Amino acid sequence: MAKVKVKSLTKRYGAVTALDGVTLDAESGELISLLGPSGCGKSTTLRCVAGFLSPDSGDISVNDQSIVSTPSNRRDFGVVFQNYALFPHMTVAQNVGYGLLFRKIPKSEHGPRIENALRMVRLTGLADRLPKALSGGQQQRVALARALVIEPRLLLLDEPLANLDARLRDEVRWLIREVQQQSGTTAFYVTHDQAEAMAISDKVAVMKSGKVAQFATPRDIYQRPSERYVADFTGEANFLAARVLDASAGRFRIEVAGQTLDVPGVASLKAGDTAELLLRPESLSLDMDGASPRSLFTGVVSKAAFLGASQHCEISLGTGGVLKLAAPPNTSIAAGEQVGISVALEHAWLMPEVKP
Amino acid sequence: MTDARKWQLLLGIPAVLLLFVFLIMPLAGMVEMSFRTAGSNAPYGDGFTAVHYARVLGDGFYMATLLRSLVTAAIVTLLCLIVSYPLAWHLSTARGGKALFLYACIASPLMTGVLVRNFGWMIVVAIDGPLNASLMGLGFISRPLRVMFTQGLVIMALVHVFIPFMVLPINNALRNINPALSEASLSLGASRLSTFFRVTLPLSFPGIQPGVILVFVLSVAAYVTPALLGGQMVNLMPTLIIRELTGTFAWPFGSTLAIVMSIATLSIVVAFSLLTARLMERVRA
Repeated sequence: MAKVKVKSLTKRYGAVTALDGVTLDAESGELISLLGPSGCGKSTTLRCVAGFLSPDSGDISVNDQSIVSTPSNRRDFGVVFQNYALFPHMTVAQNVGYGLLFRKIPKSEHGPRIENALRMVRLTGLADRLPKALSGGQQQRVALARALVIEPRLLLLDEPLANLDARLRDEVRWLIREVQQQSGTTAFYVTHDQAEAMAISDKVAVMKSGKVAQFATPRDIYQRPSERYVADFTGEANFLAARVLDASAGRFRIEVAGQTLDVPGVASLKAGDTAELLLRPESLSLDMDGASPRSLFTGVVSKAAFLGASQHCEISLGTGGVLKLAAPPNTSIAAGEQVGISVALEHAWLMPEVKP
Repeated sequence: MTDARKWQLLLGIPAVLLLFVFLIMPLAGMVEMSFRTAGSNAPYGDGFTAVHYARVLGDGFYMATLLRSLVTAAIVTLLCLIVSYPLAWHLSTARGGKALFLYACIASPLMTGVLVRNFGWMIVVAIDGPLNASLMGLGFISRPLRVMFTQGLVIMALVHVFIPFMVLPINNALRNINPALSEASLSLGASRLSTFFRVTLPLSFPGIQPGVILVFVLSVAAYVTPALLGGQMVNLMPTLIIRELTGTFAWPFGSTLAIVMSIATLSIVVAFSLLTARLMERVRA
């Protein structure tokens, strides 16, 4: 059981700042995702935590004890790599048992522990094979078993699914979450796939050029993002420029597209600020009979694509701007039609405008 | 047979021809010669006999020389491996211009002719040469060391020239090891030393094996360096063979010595390959 804190981690390579004050924390047993595009610093953060890199400044602590100067072989962390990193000259059992060799565990216990770990990742009967005789999914299971058999204080996963095909990715993803929860191991999980991060994490840190843009639950980063970057990265999003007229306790009266609306938003906004209104496609619905009294906006269908379970539409608003939304599959929509759009205002979200 | 397959076979023809004319035919000639009778007033006689083999295998002097050659080659190979491994490791971490510079440094022993290189050694280790002068100047020795014509000097000179044959394949093998493997080992609690012996060393074996075989074979067969730096004091098989072939013109007996040496070397190489076949099979990508 381990509580992990990462505080103001900074790492520079020459003139490039790879990490710029990264702060995160994980309660015991939580799975924390580091999410972002390549080069955002998520892997660098993980490598600092694993001890493969030493940060220029900042601190990493486990149960309130700093481990930043502890070498990686004394941190007691299990690491799962993107390319599996199984030892090719050792059998599956030897790979899984590797970490036991360096711990004060009687030899007689190795066999049962290895067996147990392999059963946990649902991989039995392959103990004597070499890694190259296994599929990618099986290799990653071995890697997971190898990291868990030492009962690590912290499990670190660096894009563990990136080399697997889509079907296996789903399967292994749920397996990772299952064994992580079963063993109660605190885990850091690096990924560039927002769906993956949201599905299995207790909390997600969305990273942007070496900084944590937002650190919150999957629901919060999707529905209550701190800025446009986060909203964009976590899913389909529409943005409308807005101006704050009045603010009180996280509710805002705003002016947007010629209308005055009441919406929730980021608490730090003040009256007079320029802001952006986030409207997720699923909080919008089409009013097919032109503009009805419920319609907040009116516009013309500029694009419509039938996807099977839904239809993807883009509506050009009369006041400028485009809204993307998903319409139900059984209404017929054609480009050029005049439509109204209703908005579930409780699911709209106001964010400060951040200059890129 | 497909056209592509035919072309592949055609491409092999020049190499096969070259090997046939310049390796297989002379070797067959050597084998034939080794069974000829000794001639009087001629390099060889008309009849055939196996008596030379009986003489080589039965005479303690030749067997001792063969053993000395093989042991010397083994020492050269081992020293070469010990010196080359760290070098190969350093080289494998270098990139770009630095790597190019290091490659040139490592290949440098091969850039001078064998005579020039060996005369260089003679000058360095001479009684009044720079080696003795500096050792005496530093107070390590009070009288000059006699290094010339010793087995130690022969071994040192062979190690020096064969280092590239060991460094380059090991460097290649080290470059092919996924760096995440040592990280995985460290994260599982292994020290850097354990990581080296359990992961890096076995995985670099695809470079160690060819390096060891190359250096061993070259060392057994080395002639010029032992002849110049060892002289009459260091008796090795190649010196003996050349003496028979061109000194006393006993071609059949010289050929027999050469064939015995080749078979002994080949047996050791085959045994080494068989002993390490399991490891090679495992670490091959």
